[in-house]
Amino acid sequence: MTDAALTARLFSLADDELILGHRDSEWTGHAPILEEDIAFSNIAQDEMGHALVWYTILHEQLGQPQPDRLAFWREAHEFRNAMLVELPKGDWAMTIVRQYLFDEFEKLRNAELAKCGYQPIVAAVNKIQREEVYHLMHSQGWVARLGDATEESHRRMQAALDHLWPHALGLFEAIEHDGEFSARLDVIKTAWLEAATKTLAHASLIVPSPTTPAIGGRRGQHTSYLKELLNEMQKVARLETPDAVW
Amino acid sequence: MGDTQLRTFEVFHQSKRGEPHVHVGAVHAPDAEMALMLARDQFARRLDCVSLWVVPSDQITATTPEEEAAWFDPATDKSYREASGFPMRDIIKKAENWKE
Repeated sequence: MTDAALTARLFSLADDELILGHRDSEWTGHAPILEEDIAFSNIAQDEMGHALVWYTILHEQLGQPQPDRLAFWREAHEFRNAMLVELPKGDWAMTIVRQYLFDEFEKLRNAELAKCGYQPIVAAVNKIQREEVYHLMHSQGWVARLGDATEESHRRMQAALDHLWPHALGLFEAIEHDGEFSARLDVIKTAWLEAATKTLAHASLIVPSPTTPAIGGRRGQHTSYLKELLNEMQKVARLETPDAVW
Repeated sequence: MGDTQLRTFEVFHQSKRGEPHVHVGAVHAPDAEMALMLARDQFARRLDCVSLWVVPSDQITATTPEEEAAWFDPATDKSYREASGFPMRDIIKKAENWKE
């Protein structure tokens, strides 16, 4: 494993978590019920916490700047998250379907990372995997209930799934300089499809037919939504000097 | 306006094996399984917790405020039945307070 491969791999992990965490945090104060507001805000914070774990490895092991600099002072084209996580939060169905598809992916990705042989990553995965298992239970729980609760909930969930599907397939885009883990992503795609199909079918949702994945995120190509998100997320940090203490 | 946010479930929290489950509040949820999950976020993240129970609120049979007097207020002075007259009680109380 070269440093370039590890760096690219870690940026894909960290940026997925940070951007999804930010999108999830947009529900704070707005979630459908108070209990879910608290639960989902917790999940948003968990995701950001995981981003910090990955950025810290980049900083301490691979010579990248401090985590705060990586989060608040990079431009959109420097982010390596999949496009799926930068899309606007949409309605609750959109958010839950996205979260579910991502959580299912992340569980499998983490299981592969645990075998990758690079100790800092292996140790980090062992730490965060427990929380990710809970995230998956949570999003899967809502998918199962909203998929066939009412005519309206079914319609919204199916529309979200259809809209998000090409972006979800983009999660498996190859990582630059990291042929080794890119090959693993190909393998987990099969397991992911199988698991997702089972959960979605159980919720009376129809898996969209095979389509071209929306890729580019892992090479720094993004929708304009990421730029808007970063403008908001980085605004306060950039009002201060780069070395401001939080 | 009535409560429009799903059903409610009462939440009971156990901080240590062997301790009683203590009522800590209620959550809205579509069903018991989801109630457990949401109860975890409300009540188990900041408290030590080894076990949670949820019970549908409408499954609890309770006295009503109207019945309070008939059920609980003694009609005559029954303080002679209480243990407050025993000197040991005050000594124990004092010892307990001293701990804090």
